[in-house]
Amino acid sequence: MFTRPDNWNELSPLERRKLRLDHWQNQPVEFITPEAEANYKVRIDRLRKTYDMQPVDRRVADVWMGANEYIVRRKGITGKDIVYNHEKLREPLLEFHNEFQPDTAATPLPYPGKIMDMLNYKSYVWGGQKLPDKLTIQAVEAEHMSGDEYKEFAADPTNFWMKKFLPRVMPTLEPLAMLTDLPRVSENVDIIDLILPFGTPPFQEMLKTLMEAGNELMKMLGVVGQTAGMIAASGFPSMGFNIVKTPFDYLGDTVRGTRGILMDMYRRPDDLIAACEAYVPVLINAVVNASDRNGAPAAMYVLHKGADAFMSKEQFEKFYWPTWKQVMLGLYEEGITSYLFIEGSYNNRLDNLAEMPEKSLVCHFDQTEMGPVKEILSDKFIIAGNVPASLMSTGSVAEVRAYCDNLVELFEDAPSYILSHGCYFENTTDEKMRAFMDAVK
Amino acid sequence: MTQQLIDAIIEMREEDSIKITNKLLDGGASPTDILNACKAAMDVIGQRFENGEAFIPELMMAGEMMTAVTDILKPRMAKDASAEKLGKIVLGTVQGDIHDIAKDIVGFMLDLNGFEVTDLGVDVSPEKFVETVQETGAKILGLSGFLTLAFDPMKDTVEAVKAAGLDNVKIMIGGGQINEQIRQYTNADAYGKDAMAAVAIAKEWTKE
Repeated sequence: MFTRPDNWNELSPLERRKLRLDHWQNQPVEFITPEAEANYKVRIDRLRKTYDMQPVDRRVADVWMGANEYIVRRKGITGKDIVYNHEKLREPLLEFHNEFQPDTAATPLPYPGKIMDMLNYKSYVWGGQKLPDKLTIQAVEAEHMSGDEYKEFAADPTNFWMKKFLPRVMPTLEPLAMLTDLPRVSENVDIIDLILPFGTPPFQEMLKTLMEAGNELMKMLGVVGQTAGMIAASGFPSMGFNIVKTPFDYLGDTVRGTRGILMDMYRRPDDLIAACEAYVPVLINAVVNASDRNGAPAAMYVLHKGADAFMSKEQFEKFYWPTWKQVMLGLYEEGITSYLFIEGSYNNRLDNLAEMPEKSLVCHFDQTEMGPVKEILSDKFIIAGNVPASLMSTGSVAEVRAYCDNLVELFEDAPSYILSHGCYFENTTDEKMRAFMDAVK
Repeated sequence: MTQQLIDAIIEMREEDSIKITNKLLDGGASPTDILNACKAAMDVIGQRFENGEAFIPELMMAGEMMTAVTDILKPRMAKDASAEKLGKIVLGTVQGDIHDIAKDIVGFMLDLNGFEVTDLGVDVSPEKFVETVQETGAKILGLSGFLTLAFDPMKDTVEAVKAAGLDNVKIMIGGGQINEQIRQYTNADAYGKDAMAAVAIAKEWTKE
């Protein structure tokens, strides 16, 4: 829990950022040995200096982005295990950290398999459910909002999300559609409408399922939290993110679907832009609240449909960038750093990113050309990424090392660079992981 | 008037493209002339895509307009109006991967450029690819994969095709993380970075 000081309103964005980073850096950890404590302090100090764009003794190599599943798959863990059996991940994770001594903690994303089953979640399929056990999780494209519903969405995104979107992607939650529109609950007789659904059998059935799901989640978080605590106690700090998307990607990925939203750019452009605009204050509020709750100093954007290959520069600047920029600026004002995981390439978007204030971004690239990145962005922002998943999967140890060496050399005189993978991968070898990590030493 | 249809499609004026098609038919234009106009428009859009002047929304919109126009023409098309095809292609997303958007665009562009495409959908096993290539007699196989988990199933599919003795079948691969390194890893004959690249490769192979 991050608590704002009394003088919060008098602080500049960078002063607020400092307080959030201080809070993250100084979270209490009970270390298993004095050596683990010393290692943790060295690692988190290096990470903090990287975030502050201050000189460091050496660059940070972050294995999390690409290798977060390999580090357990190397010990025979399957995709189904990752989704359902979080207890089983603990030993391989502790073993990996002990053996490889990475700069940052790394664990697979905590997918709540049992709870997704209980909700009949439709936006994804996963190992042990509809995918074979060896696979983890994949998105399912579908249209969960019709084009005619844009105006309803824009009028009240939260209401639409709760009463339309969630019941459609999680059929267990269909009774949520019975809820009254909450902003009209003001006077005494409104309580009747507020409570009425709770008296109906379908709503009560849903509540029972949600309570069971809540119990399952507590069990899962107990296991995941214990593992994360043991990793921290062994000397490995985590980066601290909340995951977020741009307004356009929220609407495109799981609400309208890729085909739907790309057609909307021609068929109903004004409705699309209005919906993205309506999302901005809701999203800023949601991320700030999450960061206050869990103390994460950064919000990680998983960026999809604004990439070079998806749309033109003009379309990007009309549909994608303006509302995303507003969200990032809103978070910056609150001291939250935006960590951009830029899938595909952004060769034609670098000047847009350069509009953002200094230290407001960590720009993590997948396939973007890194020469121009250095030239255009590295004085203002923390740069990361670009070690290809294809190289980690199928290249040789020498090729991995050479590629990483080139990146480290390219950014040698830049204020901040984090060596990291461009994209997630399933398979590599321990030798290639070592070559990757040794390139910063 | 067919120029008006070409312009409407190029300029992404969806409703106009339907209205003009109906007007053309009312005025006695033949379905073949209208289809040729659509193809001329698609050539321009394809060229713009190659030049970085058109992107996925334009390919998708053009696809929607082509489908709508074709639906109008279908009842009036003579049975013998089917154009001669350049060749047969089997296409699909490899085993374990359920992504289809890029594959669908590739299939549409190949179809539009005169190929007879058998689209096997997503999560297609190597055996299914081999079986379909054998059944159709296709000389080109296109393997799509969005995720890095597609690398090995692509390799397995190439091996299965070779093991089945289909040495005269050429294989192209494509997808978000596919590059020359993965082409070498999978032993595919080519990789294409986008739908137009796939068309160019297929045309080149058909010439051989």
